Amino acid sequence: MRALVIGYGSPIRGDDAIGPWVADRLADMGLPDDVEVQARHILTAELVEDLHRAQCVVFIDAAADIMPGELRVLPLAPDAGVMSTMAHFHDPRELLAWCEALYGRAPEAWLVTAGGAQWGYGHFQLSGPARAAVEPMIAEVLSLIGLDALASEPLRISPMLDGA
Amino acid sequence: MSRTISIEPVTRIEGHARITLQLADTGEVEEAKFHLTQFRGFEKFCEGRPYREMPALTARTCGICPVSHLLASNKACDDLLAVTIPPTAEKLRRIMNLAQLLQSHALSFFHLSSPDLLLGWDSDPAKRNIFGVMAQDPQLAKNGIRLRQIGQAIIETLGGKKIHPTWVVPGGVNEPLTEDKRAAMLAMIPEGLRIAKDTFACFKTLVPKFKDEAERFGTMPTMFLSLVTPKGNLEHYDGLLRVKDAQGRLIEDMVPPRDYQRVIGEAVEDFSYMKFPYYRPLGYPKGIYRVGPLARLNNANACGTPYADVALAEFHTLQEDSGPVTSSFHYHYARLVEIIFALEMMERLLKDPDILNSRVRARARGNRNEGIGVSEAPRGTLMHQYKIDDHGLITWVDLIIATGHNNLAMNRSIKQVADAYVDGNNLQEGMLNRVEAVIRCYDPCLSCASHAFGQMPLVIELRDAAGQVVDRLARG
Repeated sequence: MRALVIGYGSPIRGDDAIGPWVADRLADMGLPDDVEVQARHILTAELVEDLHRAQCVVFIDAAADIMPGELRVLPLAPDAGVMSTMAHFHDPRELLAWCEALYGRAPEAWLVTAGGAQWGYGHFQLSGPARAAVEPMIAEVLSLIGLDALASEPLRISPMLDGA
Repeated sequence: MSRTISIEPVTRIEGHARITLQLADTGEVEEAKFHLTQFRGFEKFCEGRPYREMPALTARTCGICPVSHLLASNKACDDLLAVTIPPTAEKLRRIMNLAQLLQSHALSFFHLSSPDLLLGWDSDPAKRNIFGVMAQDPQLAKNGIRLRQIGQAIIETLGGKKIHPTWVVPGGVNEPLTEDKRAAMLAMIPEGLRIAKDTFACFKTLVPKFKDEAERFGTMPTMFLSLVTPKGNLEHYDGLLRVKDAQGRLIEDMVPPRDYQRVIGEAVEDFSYMKFPYYRPLGYPKGIYRVGPLARLNNANACGTPYADVALAEFHTLQEDSGPVTSSFHYHYARLVEIIFALEMMERLLKDPDILNSRVRARARGNRNEGIGVSEAPRGTLMHQYKIDDHGLITWVDLIIATGHNNLAMNRSIKQVADAYVDGNNLQEGMLNRVEAVIRCYDPCLSCASHAFGQMPLVIELRDAAGQVVDRLARG
């Protein structure tokens, strides 16, 4: 697998859904066969097997420590020091460290995040700033996996965005 | 001067908790409490929602065992519809439940408890974690990942998503199984079964090393509660409630899940957000019982699959008398037996010709104002009960979570371990780890039981009666 894209977050907590939402949109774009896209609620241990098979990985998440709608792209390196005290959720750097420890190498990896504005329980829609970040986020991910040309194609608008 | 030791949070479990140990002047433990420290309140905020939303809403209770809630919730909705779902739909739901059990048990054994089992209770805490396991036995870690992956892949193949599938619906499932999906799932079973058998064989050789822990980790006479089949065999999806006492006598048997309130009462304590279910006829707290893998194997006459039945017979030899296995340490053993069972049973169900039948959903509107759904989650018996108004809106919810059933037992277990290992005058990390480890035996999912979320560092404080910190250990 040349590239693995993983969008993660809770679909019932407002802007936290932007990761899986963007992943679903990317999956709908008909990307090449050597690109795999996953939409996840959380990052869990078995993902290590998928990371191991990928040359590069792009994680997509929402962020609470930047301005709503702001985009941030960070390279990620394996880091066992961010180990979770439980197994409900792992930091992507921890999973990369698992990958390195078990298979001798970790893929090149980036974290693409967009700042969120609201995170309440039972919120099924993205806020305005988060919605505005969707298209740039998709373009950024496509650029990172070497598919810039696809970024200019018109996006399919989902009912979630229409209704927001 | 009395003192209190506080362990917060308990690590390598699912969710957030604190343990406090109240010490006497002599340094001996007078009282031990297991606190659930956060609250999410699903039972309350679901009120007013249409009942058809309940499976999707309650599945969000947990990122590890959403399938368990999905199934119990849909069973409660089946009850509201007053329908019997098609037999093929039931088989498909059973497969998904077993896949959930497989991935959850694998996580508990390989990733949460193996650092203690492989590296030792008193080993360097900086290395007593999954990375320490990877360094010492990388194949064990890979096996754990692979078993989880198989469980998750089966859930995804059936439901379309690994974490929150929407394929299970009130009345059945929303699409039948195809031949190619069946073949894909069947192809994974032999490898999973090989890993499960090898791990079981390996763990059996380790069990004698843990004689001390087996005698002191929640080794106590309690009742055991679980579902069983009408023949009294191991059951995870449906069936009838059975309660055995510590001597193996049947206290309740073949109780329809609808009558669970006759058997189970719920108490609350001011030190925890987790409820304290108890066996109602004996009252609280005398009505202490345990659920989950240990209880299911103690209650089952047989598993009903070949290798799991051999393993069940070996499980019973853990107890020197002929009664139920009473040590909570042996939850680990029981978990491995259930992993084998899950793989064997999934294979059997997938090979059933009826599994491709296209009739998989019964359709109806709400026909009752109250519905009850009971199933076995990885950690024990899970109960969803809903009441709706004539418009189908939820007016009342009660969730009795698998982990909650074990609340009394977990509290008693930490007291036992603390009595055995804690020296209040000389706080040691290994002592702390054993107190935590007995909780890990139960594999509690506190996010489910408390509806908590987040992550905490670990701090243990020794305070004097005036509340002054006299000793402190911190982790994370």
